[in-house]
Amino acid sequence: MTDTNLPLDGIRVVDLTVVWSGPGATALLGDLGAEVIRIEGNNRVSRQASARTTNASVANSGWSRNTYPDGKPEPRPYDRTALFNWHARNKLAACMNLETPEGHEAALRLIEISDVLVENNTNGVLEKLGLGHDRLLELNPRLIVARMPPMGMTGPMSNYLGYGPNFNSLVGIAAMDGYEGEPPDSAGENYHMDESAPAGLAFAVLTALWDREVTGRGGLVEFAQAENVMQDIGEFFLDYQMNDRKPAVLGNTDPALLQDAFRTAEDDRWVVVSIRDDRDWAALTGVVGDAGWTALGRTAADRRANSRALRDGIAAWCAPLSSDDVVRRLAAVRVPAAEVMSELRLLADPHLAAREWFKARSHPSVGTYRYPGHPWRADGFDLAFGRPLPGFGEDNEYVYKTLLGYGDEKYDDLVSRRLVTDEQFA
Amino acid sequence: MTSSPSRADTRRQVFNGLRVVDLSRWVAGEFATKMFADFGADVVKIEKPGAGSHSRRWALVPGERPDPEANPLFLHLNTNKRSIAVDLRSTEGLELVKRLIARADAVVESFRPGHLERLGLDPDELRATNPRLVVTRISPFGQTGPYRDREATGIVLQATGGPMNATGDAHRAPQRKPGLLEQYTIGRTAGEATLAGLYHARRTGRGSTIDVSGQEVLLSSADRRASYLLTAEYSGVNAPRGVRSAHRGAATFTGPFRAADGFVMIYITNQEFWNRLIRLIGAGDEVFLGKFLDRPHLGDDWDEFMDYLKAWFAARPKIQIMTDAEAARIPCTAFLEMDELYAHPHFRERGAFVTAEHPVAGRLDYLGAPWRMRDGFEIRHTAPRLGEHTAEVTAELEMSVVQP
Repeated sequence: MTDTNLPLDGIRVVDLTVVWSGPGATALLGDLGAEVIRIEGNNRVSRQASARTTNASVANSGWSRNTYPDGKPEPRPYDRTALFNWHARNKLAACMNLETPEGHEAALRLIEISDVLVENNTNGVLEKLGLGHDRLLELNPRLIVARMPPMGMTGPMSNYLGYGPNFNSLVGIAAMDGYEGEPPDSAGENYHMDESAPAGLAFAVLTALWDREVTGRGGLVEFAQAENVMQDIGEFFLDYQMNDRKPAVLGNTDPALLQDAFRTAEDDRWVVVSIRDDRDWAALTGVVGDAGWTALGRTAADRRANSRALRDGIAAWCAPLSSDDVVRRLAAVRVPAAEVMSELRLLADPHLAAREWFKARSHPSVGTYRYPGHPWRADGFDLAFGRPLPGFGEDNEYVYKTLLGYGDEKYDDLVSRRLVTDEQFA
Repeated sequence: MTSSPSRADTRRQVFNGLRVVDLSRWVAGEFATKMFADFGADVVKIEKPGAGSHSRRWALVPGERPDPEANPLFLHLNTNKRSIAVDLRSTEGLELVKRLIARADAVVESFRPGHLERLGLDPDELRATNPRLVVTRISPFGQTGPYRDREATGIVLQATGGPMNATGDAHRAPQRKPGLLEQYTIGRTAGEATLAGLYHARRTGRGSTIDVSGQEVLLSSADRRASYLLTAEYSGVNAPRGVRSAHRGAATFTGPFRAADGFVMIYITNQEFWNRLIRLIGAGDEVFLGKFLDRPHLGDDWDEFMDYLKAWFAARPKIQIMTDAEAARIPCTAFLEMDELYAHPHFRERGAFVTAEHPVAGRLDYLGAPWRMRDGFEIRHTAPRLGEHTAEVTAELEMSVVQP
């Protein structure tokens, strides 16, 4: 399966990532053509769905059951959850229980013939398994070991527990997130740290591969997710020092724009409208026509001073209209406006359809569905989008026999002892 | 073909020798090229004479007119870059930029779709001259499709690409993310795409043109949208707004709580965390412990539990709560504000901030390495003044004509 038009063709990635941001990162490496091999134990939950999940057990779980096709986890729930499958494209999966001598041996042999290892476990987990980066780099000096501890591998808080939103709050993002003028606890969830890690990590791995072309050496990439996401509010970090102030909670408003989200005539369908300058304002008022409030916003200073009244005016104009109507009328005069798109509306969106963004793919465990597409596209090389997911253990034979060179006897022994299976027990 | 004399290249960095031309004027493109500049590439910004990049003028506070030479946004996004002031509508200016691009490895632009062609910088022609060139094009909705010419701002991108419809309270407006976060996500992804193109060119000698649609970047993102889209495709149901962690069920909960002096963020996602929390807040209260330990679900007593929890949080300072929770191995962190982040012992001890001098803005602490590797991040110099390197870069191009 060689395709030389994929940038990372011939690069093998051992994927020890869990949960969310790590798997999101290795998905991007797979898009580029790397052979991404997930190593998963059959004795622990590695795909956010336990083998014990049943149709009955999720029946009362509210929205969560919809993460399974038609709300049905059975059979093989670990192959059927959107929580895993959104990032599972192109990946391979092999069963390896790293805490057993057999799994440990197989992992080391695989790492020896790989280019990259990515992991986002708690600090110390790899060391406990005898897979610390020092040892791996000794074994394979061309290896790139990318580790993603949220707070880094050193420092007083390096072992703190948490999920994306926990670390968003530590770097200052949560304190500015909320409805306009209200305390910062009023917004919904924000997983921006998870959003920022995948492309950053893929960039970091590519950077290390770039370096390896020159030096012939791999090495450690320490990717502290909090320090990566911190970049995204760097202007506020400098502004604090220069002007001695902290960012305000602005909700849907913006310091430089007149904007907000507005309700339309349709049930829970909202639109956003932004006015950047006098031209946008003239275009908007041209569409709205004469209304009491339109005289209040002629200049940027007017729009700032009368922001609330103007937004109330725009809200009143939107209220009896459909979202399509608002967006069509404003887009026609080049005013930035859009519907706040639900998932089902996006699945039916003509623009995304014209760009063939969703990709219909089949897998025996789930059937045929449309999957979210690539984050970008290229003219000049290809991006991979083959199998939408690997069934648990689906690539056991390829990994053990073809890559590691295990003979039938050794492989069959592992299978007979249930150390290598194509089903998960946890 | 020599490096700039003004740059003190004291140590090797991974992207030494790589040349990037930055035609972008806004956050996404400038952040994409910053990723290269901070790791050693020679990034030359093309700026409009007199005006310069939009990020020089963008105000963080309503009504403010920032100094274009000392705007925090520009200072952050343009470390290690060089700036030349060029009028792309003049023949000489266009010629200069074409020559710069002819010897570059990558170009990043974020004009409206079609504008680059109208300027006379059609990517196909640029690549015909320089077959290894990577041209990265960033736009709100991509270079093709019925909405490609639609105007967009950050909130428009969040509405069309991000999980905004599922963010906020159930009976109030959908809630965007703060700051310019969506722009950074798009920029970081454009940086990753550019480097993928460069790596491909390095291996094959062939360049590429990359189409980065901001909407598609956000739709595929790990801030839930991709998983929500697949969920909707699997089951025909939208992700609800006003339900924290729609992915979860049972006696688990997540979200912010008010502490005595601010807020904390807690993530109780399984029975183990649940029990640790119950033991922490119910220490010494046998009735509470007896009632709530080991509960897989709560029923009518949910409000009773929440009132107890809220009172416990409200009586304690946020740092104390975080420290006690961590000691009990419960994911619960304080909301820090900029002054607290700036002084934070963890990040200080790790050297996460780097002090650097700027001729107008003075001495400031900049954010340091986004990740760490051998021969990686360094601030060689702070952001350029508008046109600071025009003469220098022009002279380099003259020399390259004499000595091709």
